[in-house]
Amino acid sequence: MKQSYAYYPGCLASLSQKELDVSTRAIAAKLGMELIDIPGFTCCGAGDVHEARPEYYLHLNARILGQAEQLEQDTLLTICNVCTLNLRQADLRLKGDPELLERVNANLRDVGAAPYAGGVEVRHLLWEIAEGEGYERLKAIAEKPLVGVRIAPFYGCQILRPSKLLGFEDPDRPQSLERIIEACGAEPVDYPSKIKCCGFPIVLAREEVALGELIQPLAEARDAGADAMVTPCPLCHLSLDAWQSKAAREADMDFGMPIFHLAQLVGAAAGLSYDELLFKRHVTKTHPATDKIYAQG
Amino acid sequence: MQFTLKIERWNPETEQGGLDEFTVEAPETATLLDVLDVVKDEVDGSVTYRKSCRMAVCGSCGMRIDGAAALACKTPMAPLAQEGRVPVISPMGNLPVIKDLVVDMDPFWAKFRAVKPWLEEDDQPPVKEWRVQQEELDRIMKEALCIQCGACVSECNSMQSDPEFLGPAALAKAAKFVGDVRDRDRKGRLELYNGPHGVWDCTRCYFCNERCPKGVDPRDAIAKIGAEIYSEGMLSDKAARHAQVFDVSTRATGYLLETALVPYTDPMKALDIKFAMQMARAGKVPNPLRPHRAKKLGEVRKLHKLLKTQEADARAQKRAGVSVDREEAGS
Repeated sequence: MKQSYAYYPGCLASLSQKELDVSTRAIAAKLGMELIDIPGFTCCGAGDVHEARPEYYLHLNARILGQAEQLEQDTLLTICNVCTLNLRQADLRLKGDPELLERVNANLRDVGAAPYAGGVEVRHLLWEIAEGEGYERLKAIAEKPLVGVRIAPFYGCQILRPSKLLGFEDPDRPQSLERIIEACGAEPVDYPSKIKCCGFPIVLAREEVALGELIQPLAEARDAGADAMVTPCPLCHLSLDAWQSKAAREADMDFGMPIFHLAQLVGAAAGLSYDELLFKRHVTKTHPATDKIYAQG
Repeated sequence: MQFTLKIERWNPETEQGGLDEFTVEAPETATLLDVLDVVKDEVDGSVTYRKSCRMAVCGSCGMRIDGAAALACKTPMAPLAQEGRVPVISPMGNLPVIKDLVVDMDPFWAKFRAVKPWLEEDDQPPVKEWRVQQEELDRIMKEALCIQCGACVSECNSMQSDPEFLGPAALAKAAKFVGDVRDRDRKGRLELYNGPHGVWDCTRCYFCNERCPKGVDPRDAIAKIGAEIYSEGMLSDKAARHAQVFDVSTRATGYLLETALVPYTDPMKALDIKFAMQMARAGKVPNPLRPHRAKKLGEVRKLHKLLKTQEADARAQKRAGVSVDREEAGS
């Protein structure tokens, strides 16, 4: 049975991390997930608007939820950790406080936007394919198992914590990415920093602090013998991928670590090509790992 | 019930350490602290840890259980034993170890003192007690629940990278004073917390919210200070300008204006040509002259404007409320 979703790619996957949006749409077609675009969606405000203007953040996200509801979808699918936390936090606050929901809806009506009735659940792609029917479909489409490829999962923060808002799995011992890596025929690599921060939110304002955080997972994944890392978050991806050379200089180390988006890993196992998954749009070359994958014929 | 656990040891006199495994009998209802007491009483008297109230109030027995900081007195052991886990008990992170599970809290308290955790007066002290409305108390109630155990600090990812970061415990306390209507130095506080190792060092890893045994949610407290700084138009810090780009971008295009983010946050970074070229080669630099624009942008622009007005009204109302209380208190 085909499952449909209101699809929220967010800013980054619509802009500089376009390869994530393209790969997500490509695997969704194979997984039987119908992605319905939300017309007129905006940025969720990231952690920045959430912090600086909490009321505006709440309204921006309520508007997105209202738009998803207009599409008569009960699930809004995200592909970014930050979008997931922002939207879920707004959703849970609005559902838990009828007076607040009414006040926000009055403002939405005031500006001509659709109000939100509280009928949408926000879920990340990771959760949809890590268990249940989605996991069964994933195993079915992974017809080109990535045998012998060692993948280090990197969860990022805002898909695990705060667990009272996210709550998909044990935030200290998550296994969803490992299950997906195994379903793709690859070998998951364990290392302590897989649940820690990549430093991205402060990489422009506090580069030294952020790089200090970024070095740890890169070094541990390398030392554990990973061919590549995989992440469900485009912000973590940008940090691990684009800032990798700076982290290497800062640490006086050589990482050379390819970083995959979750949808690219699944896509490769589903037989999608290097070009279809836009691996060329990575700053750190993916060749050592992608050669291993695509050499398998 | 039988409990097995491993304890990370450190003897400062011999400078020797390692993991010691213990198996002891304790009631099924035993907490980690109860089990540690049995170990110390019956097996090895040299095992060292802090404890006092045994009821999650004093904040003394913070330590790590399999790497996650918690209060020993609030951690039941039976579920771990039933899962077949042999937990590793280790001292909290981000603080120097004195012996075994005891950490030196001096750096923790130094940061606490640095945020001025007391009410500041001005030249018109009230002649009788301040009257604080319940609603005003409610706004800082979560932050007031902190027992200074250090569990949030233990796992702070930013502090691992910048040991001078004031950190989640001290800043949660700071947020309490920023939000306290009796305090007379709001601006001074905001300037202090806006400093180089202040609120903007937070990387939003949310470990502090996850670990806090009292539901203080320190990350949310830090964000409250950030919002106050931003509402005052204090944009001296790069991180505040970073936030402003998101704020303004959503009004301008509905999306983040990625090409404005670097030059506006930190103009010097925009001169990093090598990095820019790497990004451009990977196709990660959008055309600044043709930004992506959301459909129905008018809705968002109106929302942006409406909320600005409502935010200003709410601030004015809050200030007016405080001054009335002050007159009453001084009358």
